Amino acid sequence: MLPNPLALIAEVTHRCPLHCVYCSNPLQMTAANLELTTQDWVRVFHEAAAMKLLHLHLTGGEPLARADIRELIAEAHTVGLYTNLITSGIGLTEARLVPLIEAGLDHIQLSFQDSREDSANWIAGTRAHAHKLELAQIIRGNKIAFTVNLVVHRQNLDHLEEMIALIETLNPDRVEIAHTQYYGWALENRASLMPTREQLENSVQVIDAARRRLEGRIRVDSVTPDYYARYPKACMGGWGQRLMLIDPAGKALPCHAAGVIPNLQFDNVRERSLQWIWQESSAFQHFRGESWMQEPCRSCDRRTQDFGGCRCQAFLLTGDAAATDPVCSLAPTHHFVEATLLQMNTERLPISKPVSISSQQQAAHENASQSAASWLYRINPA
Amino acid sequence: MALPTDSTQPRLAPGCRWGANGEDKVLLFPEGALRLQGTGQKIVELCDGQRTFAEIVAELQAHYNSNAGEIRDDVAGFLEQLKQKRIVDY
Repeated sequence: MLPNPLALIAEVTHRCPLHCVYCSNPLQMTAANLELTTQDWVRVFHEAAAMKLLHLHLTGGEPLARADIRELIAEAHTVGLYTNLITSGIGLTEARLVPLIEAGLDHIQLSFQDSREDSANWIAGTRAHAHKLELAQIIRGNKIAFTVNLVVHRQNLDHLEEMIALIETLNPDRVEIAHTQYYGWALENRASLMPTREQLENSVQVIDAARRRLEGRIRVDSVTPDYYARYPKACMGGWGQRLMLIDPAGKALPCHAAGVIPNLQFDNVRERSLQWIWQESSAFQHFRGESWMQEPCRSCDRRTQDFGGCRCQAFLLTGDAAATDPVCSLAPTHHFVEATLLQMNTERLPISKPVSISSQQQAAHENASQSAASWLYRINPA
Repeated sequence: MALPTDSTQPRLAPGCRWGANGEDKVLLFPEGALRLQGTGQKIVELCDGQRTFAEIVAELQAHYNSNAGEIRDDVAGFLEQLKQKRIVDY
Protein backbone atom coordinates (compact mmCIF):
# COMPACT_ATOMS: atom_id res chain seq x y z
CA MET A 1 0.00 0.00 0.00
CA LEU A 2 1.18 3.51 -0.84
CA PRO A 3 2.26 5.36 2.30
CA ASN A 4 0.92 8.89 2.67
CA PRO A 5 3.33 11.80 2.22
CA LEU A 6 5.29 13.19 5.15
CA ALA A 7 4.96 16.86 4.40
CA LEU A 8 2.91 19.40 2.53
CA ILE A 9 4.52 22.35 0.82
CA ALA A 10 1.98 25.17 0.56
CA GLU A 11 2.96 27.81 -1.97
CA VAL A 12 0.33 30.18 -0.65
CA THR A 13 1.08 33.00 -3.07
CA HIS A 14 3.48 33.87 -5.85
CA ARG A 15 3.48 37.54 -4.85
CA CYS A 16 6.83 38.60 -3.43
CA PRO A 17 8.54 41.91 -2.67
CA LEU A 18 11.88 40.40 -3.72
CA HIS A 19 12.98 39.66 -7.27
CA CYS A 20 15.76 37.17 -6.61
CA VAL A 21 17.53 36.06 -9.74
CA TYR A 22 17.69 32.45 -8.49
CA CYS A 23 14.01 32.12 -7.55
CA SER A 24 12.67 28.59 -8.02
CA ASN A 25 9.13 29.74 -8.77
CA PRO A 26 7.86 28.95 -12.26
CA LEU A 27 8.26 31.58 -14.95
CA GLN A 28 4.48 31.52 -15.36
CA MET A 29 3.19 32.57 -11.99
CA THR A 30 -0.26 32.50 -10.47
CA ALA A 31 -2.10 35.81 -10.45
CA ALA A 32 -3.29 37.09 -7.07
CA ASN A 33 -6.97 36.83 -8.02
CA LEU A 34 -6.62 33.09 -8.70
CA GLU A 35 -5.20 32.26 -5.26
CA LEU A 36 -7.00 29.81 -2.99
CA THR A 37 -9.16 31.36 -0.29
CA THR A 38 -8.52 31.03 3.42
CA GLN A 39 -11.30 28.41 3.61
CA ASP A 40 -9.71 26.38 0.81
CA TRP A 41 -6.36 26.26 2.61
CA VAL A 42 -7.96 25.45 5.94
CA ARG A 43 -9.74 22.49 4.36
CA VAL A 44 -6.47 21.33 2.79
CA PHE A 45 -4.71 21.48 6.20
CA HIS A 46 -7.49 19.46 7.81
CA GLU A 47 -7.20 16.85 5.07
CA ALA A 48 -3.42 16.79 5.43
CA ALA A 49 -3.67 16.22 9.17
CA ALA A 50 -6.22 13.45 8.63
CA MET A 51 -3.69 11.80 6.28
CA LYS A 52 -1.19 12.05 9.14
CA LEU A 53 1.19 14.39 7.35
CA LEU A 54 3.66 15.86 9.82
CA HIS A 55 5.07 19.09 8.41
CA LEU A 56 3.55 22.07 6.69
CA HIS A 57 6.00 24.33 4.88
CA LEU A 58 4.41 27.69 4.16
CA THR A 59 6.22 29.26 1.27
CA GLY A 60 5.63 31.37 -1.83
CA GLY A 61 6.44 33.88 -3.19
CA GLU A 62 6.36 35.58 0.14
CA PRO A 63 3.79 33.89 2.40
CA LEU A 64 3.53 37.09 4.48
CA ALA A 65 1.98 38.74 1.43
CA ARG A 66 -1.20 36.94 2.43
CA ALA A 67 -3.25 38.93 4.90
CA ASP A 68 -4.59 35.70 6.42
CA ILE A 69 -1.20 34.14 7.23
CA ARG A 70 -1.84 34.21 10.99
CA GLU A 71 -5.13 32.40 10.54
CA LEU A 72 -3.51 29.80 8.27
CA ILE A 73 -0.80 29.11 10.84
CA ALA A 74 -3.33 28.92 13.67
CA GLU A 75 -5.50 26.42 11.78
CA ALA A 76 -2.54 24.27 10.77
CA HIS A 77 -1.28 24.25 14.33
CA THR A 78 -4.71 23.35 15.70
CA VAL A 79 -4.91 20.24 13.53
CA GLY A 80 -1.43 19.22 14.69
CA LEU A 81 0.82 20.09 11.75
CA TYR A 82 4.37 21.28 12.41
CA THR A 83 4.40 24.71 10.81
CA ASN A 84 7.42 26.20 9.08
CA LEU A 85 7.38 29.69 7.59
CA ILE A 86 9.85 30.21 4.75
CA THR A 87 10.20 33.94 4.36
CA SER A 88 12.17 36.88 3.06
CA GLY A 89 11.08 38.72 6.20
CA ILE A 90 9.72 41.65 4.22
CA GLY A 91 6.47 42.69 5.83
CA LEU A 92 7.44 41.20 9.16
CA THR A 93 7.81 43.31 12.29
CA GLU A 94 7.82 42.25 15.92
CA ALA A 95 4.16 43.33 16.15
CA ARG A 96 3.31 40.90 13.37
CA LEU A 97 5.72 38.12 14.37
CA VAL A 98 4.51 37.66 17.94
CA PRO A 99 0.92 36.76 16.94
CA LEU A 100 2.31 34.20 14.45
CA ILE A 101 4.32 32.55 17.22
CA GLU A 102 1.31 32.66 19.53
CA ALA A 103 -0.75 31.05 16.78
CA GLY A 104 1.63 28.08 16.95
CA LEU A 105 4.36 28.74 14.41
CA ASP A 106 7.11 26.19 15.11
CA HIS A 107 9.94 27.38 12.94
CA ILE A 108 10.96 30.32 10.79
CA GLN A 109 13.43 30.27 7.93
CA LEU A 110 14.85 33.60 6.83
CA SER A 111 16.90 33.93 3.67
CA PHE A 112 19.91 36.15 3.11
CA GLN A 113 21.31 36.95 -0.32
CA ASP A 114 24.81 38.01 0.74
CA SER A 115 26.78 39.48 3.64
CA ARG A 116 27.39 42.73 1.76
CA GLU A 117 24.44 45.02 1.55
CA ASP A 118 24.98 46.36 -1.96
CA SER A 119 25.46 42.88 -3.38
CA ALA A 120 22.56 41.37 -1.41
CA ASN A 121 20.18 44.05 -2.66
CA TRP A 122 21.48 43.61 -6.17
CA ILE A 123 20.75 39.87 -6.11
CA ALA A 124 17.31 40.39 -4.55
CA GLY A 125 16.50 43.23 -6.94
CA THR A 126 15.34 45.34 -4.03
CA ARG A 127 16.60 46.87 -0.79
CA ALA A 128 15.86 44.15 1.70
CA HIS A 129 19.17 43.40 3.42
CA ALA A 130 19.10 46.00 6.20
CA HIS A 131 15.57 45.01 7.17
CA LYS A 132 16.52 41.33 7.27
CA LEU A 133 19.37 42.09 9.67
CA GLU A 134 17.05 43.98 11.98
CA LEU A 135 14.43 41.29 11.76
CA ALA A 136 16.92 38.52 12.57
CA GLN A 137 17.58 40.20 15.93
CA ILE A 138 13.86 40.37 16.60
CA ILE A 139 13.34 36.71 15.69
CA ARG A 140 16.21 35.67 17.96
CA GLY A 141 14.68 37.69 20.78
CA ASN A 142 11.55 35.57 20.58
CA LYS A 143 11.02 31.96 21.46
CA ILE A 144 11.01 30.26 18.08
CA ALA A 145 13.32 27.93 16.18
CA PHE A 146 15.28 29.94 13.65
CA THR A 147 17.09 28.86 10.50
CA VAL A 148 18.99 31.19 8.23
CA ASN A 149 19.12 30.16 4.61
CA LEU A 150 21.96 31.31 2.38
CA VAL A 151 21.56 30.72 -1.32
CA VAL A 152 25.01 30.63 -2.83
CA HIS A 153 26.22 30.94 -6.41
CA ARG A 154 28.95 32.43 -8.56
CA GLN A 155 28.21 36.01 -7.46
CA ASN A 156 28.56 35.55 -3.70
CA LEU A 157 30.62 32.38 -3.18
CA ASP A 158 33.91 34.25 -3.05
CA HIS A 159 32.97 35.67 0.34
CA LEU A 160 31.17 32.71 1.82
CA GLU A 161 33.34 32.94 4.95
CA GLU A 162 32.18 36.49 5.48
CA MET A 163 28.57 35.39 4.99
CA ILE A 164 28.90 32.67 7.59
CA ALA A 165 30.58 35.10 10.00
CA LEU A 166 27.64 37.46 9.62
CA ILE A 167 25.15 34.67 10.21
CA GLU A 168 27.08 33.65 13.30
CA THR A 169 26.39 37.07 14.83
CA LEU A 170 22.66 36.48 14.28
CA ASN A 171 22.89 33.26 16.31
CA PRO A 172 20.29 31.10 14.54
CA ASP A 173 19.76 27.48 15.55
CA ARG A 174 20.68 26.36 12.11
CA VAL A 175 22.13 27.68 8.88
CA GLU A 176 21.35 26.11 5.56
CA ILE A 177 23.86 26.86 2.83
CA ALA A 178 22.15 25.95 -0.39
CA HIS A 179 23.78 26.02 -3.77
CA THR A 180 21.36 27.35 -6.36
CA GLN A 181 19.30 24.69 -8.11
CA TYR A 182 18.67 25.42 -11.73
CA TYR A 183 14.92 25.69 -12.26
CA GLY A 184 12.64 28.61 -12.97
CA TRP A 185 14.41 31.95 -12.82
CA ALA A 186 17.70 30.37 -11.77
CA LEU A 187 17.86 28.39 -15.00
CA GLU A 188 17.26 31.59 -16.96
CA ASN A 189 20.19 33.15 -15.09
CA ARG A 190 22.40 30.08 -15.04
CA ALA A 191 25.29 31.67 -16.91
CA SER A 192 25.60 34.30 -14.18
CA LEU A 193 25.00 31.94 -11.26
CA MET A 194 26.83 28.68 -11.92
CA PRO A 195 29.91 28.56 -9.71
CA THR A 196 33.31 27.62 -11.06
CA ARG A 197 34.84 24.34 -9.91
CA GLU A 198 37.36 26.32 -7.91
CA GLN A 199 34.61 28.24 -6.11
CA LEU A 200 32.78 25.01 -5.41
CA GLU A 201 35.82 23.26 -3.98
CA ASN A 202 36.64 26.24 -1.84
CA SER A 203 33.07 26.41 -0.57
CA VAL A 204 33.18 22.76 0.50
CA GLN A 205 36.21 23.53 2.66
CA VAL A 206 34.68 26.68 4.10
CA ILE A 207 31.48 24.83 4.97
CA ASP A 208 33.38 21.95 6.57
CA ALA A 209 35.42 24.37 8.68
CA ALA A 210 32.27 26.25 9.73
CA ARG A 211 30.55 23.00 10.63
CA ARG A 212 33.42 22.07 12.95
CA ARG A 213 33.74 25.53 14.45
CA LEU A 214 30.00 25.96 15.10
CA GLU A 215 29.35 22.42 16.26
CA GLY A 216 26.96 22.35 19.19
CA ARG A 217 25.99 26.01 18.64
CA ILE A 218 24.66 26.39 15.11
CA ARG A 219 23.88 23.40 12.97
CA VAL A 220 25.27 23.75 9.45
CA ASP A 221 23.44 22.00 6.63
CA SER A 222 24.39 22.30 3.01
CA VAL A 223 22.92 21.51 -0.36
CA THR A 224 25.47 20.69 -3.03
CA PRO A 225 25.22 21.75 -6.66
CA ASP A 226 24.16 18.68 -8.59
CA TYR A 227 25.76 19.74 -11.87
CA TYR A 228 29.13 18.98 -10.26
CA ALA A 229 28.05 15.76 -8.58
CA ARG A 230 28.81 12.29 -9.89
CA TYR A 231 25.28 11.07 -9.24
CA PRO A 232 22.00 12.96 -9.19
CA LYS A 233 20.11 14.06 -6.12
CA ALA A 234 17.28 11.90 -4.79
CA CYS A 235 14.87 14.59 -5.91
CA MET A 236 11.93 15.06 -3.46
CA GLY A 237 12.78 11.65 -1.97
CA GLY A 238 11.28 10.09 -5.07
CA TRP A 239 8.43 11.33 -7.27
CA GLY A 240 5.14 11.11 -5.40
CA GLN A 241 6.78 9.34 -2.46
CA ARG A 242 7.14 11.84 0.36
CA LEU A 243 6.02 15.31 -0.55
CA MET A 244 3.11 17.11 -2.03
CA LEU A 245 3.11 20.71 -3.19
CA ILE A 246 0.02 22.85 -3.61
CA ASP A 247 0.49 25.94 -5.78
CA PRO A 248 -1.28 29.25 -5.06
CA ALA A 249 -4.23 28.31 -7.29
CA GLY A 250 -4.67 24.89 -5.68
CA LYS A 251 -2.88 22.76 -8.25
CA ALA A 252 -1.26 19.72 -6.64
CA LEU A 253 2.28 19.02 -7.87
CA PRO A 254 4.86 16.38 -6.95
CA CYS A 255 7.51 19.15 -6.79
CA HIS A 256 8.12 22.87 -7.32
CA ALA A 257 9.01 22.62 -10.95
CA ALA A 258 6.75 19.81 -12.19
CA GLY A 259 4.60 22.28 -14.12
CA VAL A 260 7.33 22.50 -16.78
CA ILE A 261 6.81 18.89 -17.84
CA PRO A 262 4.38 18.79 -20.76
CA ASN A 263 1.31 16.54 -20.86
CA LEU A 264 1.07 15.99 -17.12
CA GLN A 265 -2.46 16.38 -15.76
CA PHE A 266 -2.43 18.16 -12.43
CA ASP A 267 -5.49 17.93 -10.23
CA ASN A 268 -6.71 20.77 -8.08
CA VAL A 269 -7.62 20.75 -4.39
CA ARG A 270 -10.68 22.79 -5.32
CA GLU A 271 -12.08 19.72 -7.07
CA ARG A 272 -10.42 16.74 -5.43
CA SER A 273 -9.44 15.69 -1.94
CA LEU A 274 -5.79 15.56 -0.99
CA GLN A 275 -6.07 11.80 -0.40
CA TRP A 276 -7.59 11.21 -3.84
CA ILE A 277 -4.90 13.31 -5.50
CA TRP A 278 -2.11 11.47 -3.71
CA GLN A 279 -3.43 8.07 -4.74
CA GLU A 280 -5.13 8.69 -8.06
CA SER A 281 -3.83 11.85 -9.72
CA SER A 282 -2.12 10.86 -12.95
CA ALA A 283 0.65 13.43 -12.41
CA PHE A 284 1.62 11.77 -9.13
CA GLN A 285 1.48 8.31 -10.64
CA HIS A 286 3.41 9.18 -13.77
CA PHE A 287 6.95 8.80 -12.42
CA ARG A 288 6.12 6.90 -9.26
CA GLY A 289 8.03 3.66 -8.89
CA GLU A 290 10.35 2.39 -11.62
CA SER A 291 8.25 1.36 -14.61
CA TRP A 292 8.91 4.68 -16.43
CA MET A 293 12.66 4.28 -16.21
CA GLN A 294 14.93 3.93 -19.23
CA GLU A 295 18.44 2.58 -19.34
CA PRO A 296 20.84 3.09 -17.68
CA CYS A 297 18.49 3.76 -14.70
CA ARG A 298 16.34 0.68 -15.24
CA SER A 299 19.15 -1.74 -14.44
CA CYS A 300 21.21 0.56 -12.20
CA ASP A 301 21.88 -0.39 -8.59
CA ARG A 302 21.47 3.24 -7.57
CA ARG A 303 17.88 3.52 -8.83
CA THR A 304 16.51 2.82 -5.34
CA GLN A 305 18.72 5.57 -3.87
CA ASP A 306 18.34 8.45 -6.29
CA PHE A 307 15.31 7.34 -8.35
CA GLY A 308 16.98 8.44 -11.58
CA GLY A 309 17.37 11.99 -10.29
CA CYS A 310 15.13 14.89 -11.10
CA ARG A 311 12.41 14.53 -13.75
CA CYS A 312 12.11 18.28 -14.26
CA GLN A 313 15.84 18.68 -14.79
CA ALA A 314 15.80 15.74 -17.21
CA PHE A 315 13.11 17.49 -19.22
CA LEU A 316 14.66 20.95 -19.02
CA LEU A 317 18.08 19.78 -20.17
CA THR A 318 17.25 16.92 -22.56
CA GLY A 319 13.63 17.46 -23.60
CA ASP A 320 12.69 14.01 -22.25
CA ALA A 321 11.26 13.90 -18.74
CA ALA A 322 11.82 10.13 -18.51
CA ALA A 323 15.51 10.36 -19.33
CA THR A 324 18.20 9.76 -16.75
CA ASP A 325 18.93 13.07 -15.02
CA PRO A 326 21.78 14.40 -17.18
CA VAL A 327 23.81 15.45 -14.14
CA CYS A 328 24.41 11.73 -13.60
CA SER A 329 27.85 10.70 -14.87
CA LEU A 330 26.21 7.53 -16.26
CA ALA A 331 23.59 9.42 -18.27
CA PRO A 332 23.90 9.23 -22.06
CA THR A 333 23.17 12.96 -22.11
CA HIS A 334 25.74 13.84 -19.46
CA HIS A 335 27.74 15.68 -22.13
CA PHE A 336 25.11 18.48 -21.98
CA VAL A 337 26.10 19.13 -18.40
CA GLU A 338 29.80 18.71 -19.09
CA ALA A 339 29.61 21.20 -21.93
CA THR A 340 27.84 23.71 -19.68
CA LEU A 341 30.44 23.28 -16.96
CA LEU A 342 33.29 23.55 -19.41
CA GLN A 343 31.89 26.83 -20.62
CA MET A 344 31.37 28.11 -17.06
CA ASN A 345 34.92 27.20 -16.13
CA THR A 346 36.78 28.45 -19.16
CA GLU A 347 34.95 31.54 -20.32
CA ARG A 348 35.26 34.34 -17.86
CA LEU A 349 31.73 35.59 -18.16
CA PRO A 350 31.30 39.20 -17.25
CA ILE A 351 30.23 39.59 -13.67
CA SER A 352 28.86 42.94 -12.84
CA LYS A 353 29.50 43.35 -9.15
CA PRO A 354 27.79 46.27 -7.55
CA VAL A 355 30.12 48.79 -6.02
CA SER A 356 29.23 51.02 -3.12
CA ILE A 357 27.03 53.64 -4.63
CA SER A 358 24.94 56.54 -3.51
CA SER A 359 21.20 56.47 -4.01
CA GLN A 360 21.51 59.10 -6.75
CA GLN A 361 23.70 56.75 -8.72
CA GLN A 362 21.44 53.77 -8.10
CA ALA A 363 19.38 54.07 -11.27
CA ALA A 364 22.36 54.50 -13.53
CA HIS A 365 24.08 51.60 -11.85
CA GLU A 366 21.09 49.31 -12.29
CA ASN A 367 21.01 50.04 -16.00
CA ALA A 368 24.70 49.34 -16.29
CA SER A 369 24.56 46.04 -14.40
CA GLN A 370 21.67 44.80 -16.48
CA SER A 371 23.58 45.22 -19.67
CA ALA A 372 26.77 43.68 -18.33
CA ALA A 373 25.48 40.59 -16.56
CA SER A 374 22.32 39.81 -18.53
CA TRP A 375 20.52 39.29 -15.26
CA LEU A 376 16.83 38.47 -15.37
CA TYR A 377 14.99 39.53 -12.25
CA ARG A 378 12.01 37.53 -11.09
CA ILE A 379 8.87 39.47 -11.85
CA ASN A 380 5.73 39.57 -9.79
CA PRO A 381 2.48 37.94 -10.90
CA ALA A 382 -0.37 40.18 -11.98
CA MET B 1 31.55 17.35 21.11
CA ALA B 2 30.88 17.30 24.83
CA LEU B 3 29.16 14.43 26.54
CA PRO B 4 26.61 15.37 29.20
CA THR B 5 27.83 15.57 32.79
CA ASP B 6 25.90 14.66 35.93
CA SER B 7 24.51 18.15 36.42
CA THR B 8 23.55 18.65 32.75
CA GLN B 9 19.84 19.33 32.27
CA PRO B 10 18.97 18.18 28.75
CA ARG B 11 15.88 19.61 27.06
CA LEU B 12 14.31 19.55 23.61
CA ALA B 13 16.05 22.01 21.29
CA PRO B 14 14.12 25.01 19.93
CA GLY B 15 11.75 23.96 17.18
CA CYS B 16 11.66 20.38 18.38
CA ARG B 17 8.45 18.96 19.82
CA TRP B 18 6.44 15.79 20.11
CA GLY B 19 3.71 15.06 17.63
CA ALA B 20 1.56 12.07 16.95
CA ASN B 21 1.43 10.07 13.76
CA GLY B 22 -1.32 7.55 14.33
CA GLU B 23 -0.37 5.31 17.20
CA ASP B 24 3.27 6.32 17.15
CA LYS B 25 4.74 9.25 18.98
CA VAL B 26 7.12 11.16 16.74
CA LEU B 27 9.65 13.82 17.50
CA LEU B 28 9.21 16.72 15.08
CA PHE B 29 11.97 19.15 14.21
CA PRO B 30 12.41 21.73 11.45
CA GLU B 31 13.88 19.48 8.80
CA GLY B 32 12.32 16.15 9.67
CA ALA B 33 10.88 13.75 12.18
CA LEU B 34 12.16 10.89 14.25
CA ARG B 35 10.05 7.92 15.19
CA LEU B 36 11.28 6.87 18.59
CA GLN B 37 10.25 3.74 20.39
CA GLY B 38 11.08 2.01 23.63
CA THR B 39 14.16 3.23 25.43
CA GLY B 40 14.92 6.02 22.96
CA GLN B 41 11.47 7.50 23.46
CA LYS B 42 11.75 7.10 27.22
CA ILE B 43 15.09 8.93 27.32
CA VAL B 44 13.87 11.89 25.30
CA GLU B 45 10.70 12.10 27.39
CA LEU B 46 12.90 12.56 30.45
CA CYS B 47 14.76 15.46 28.79
CA ASP B 48 12.48 18.13 30.24
CA GLY B 49 15.10 20.72 31.15
CA GLN B 50 14.45 19.98 34.84
CA ARG B 51 15.90 16.53 35.41
CA THR B 52 19.68 16.30 35.49
CA PHE B 53 21.57 13.75 33.47
CA ALA B 54 22.34 11.86 36.71
CA GLU B 55 18.62 11.75 37.55
CA ILE B 56 17.73 10.54 34.07
CA VAL B 57 20.27 7.72 34.34
CA ALA B 58 18.98 6.80 37.81
CA GLU B 59 15.37 6.66 36.58
CA LEU B 60 16.27 4.52 33.59
CA GLN B 61 18.33 2.22 35.76
CA ALA B 62 15.40 1.75 38.12
CA HIS B 63 13.08 1.18 35.18
CA TYR B 64 15.25 -1.29 33.29
CA ASN B 65 17.00 -2.71 36.32
CA SER B 66 20.35 -2.95 34.64
CA ASN B 67 23.98 -1.94 35.09
CA ALA B 68 24.34 1.79 35.87
CA GLY B 69 27.65 2.23 34.08
CA GLU B 70 26.36 0.70 30.87
CA ILE B 71 23.18 2.76 30.91
CA ARG B 72 25.16 5.88 31.59
CA ASP B 73 27.42 5.36 28.59
CA ASP B 74 24.52 4.46 26.30
CA VAL B 75 22.41 7.43 27.33
CA ALA B 76 25.35 9.83 27.09
CA GLY B 77 26.15 8.61 23.59
CA PHE B 78 22.52 8.83 22.53
CA LEU B 79 22.10 12.37 23.89
CA GLU B 80 25.30 13.49 22.23
CA GLN B 81 23.96 12.25 18.89
CA LEU B 82 20.68 14.06 19.43
CA LYS B 83 22.53 17.20 20.41
CA GLN B 84 24.52 17.04 17.22
CA LYS B 85 21.27 16.87 15.27
CA ARG B 86 19.99 19.79 17.35
CA ILE B 87 17.08 17.78 18.67
CA VAL B 88 18.26 17.97 22.28
CA ASP B 89 20.19 20.81 23.91
CA TYR B 90 22.23 20.82 27.08
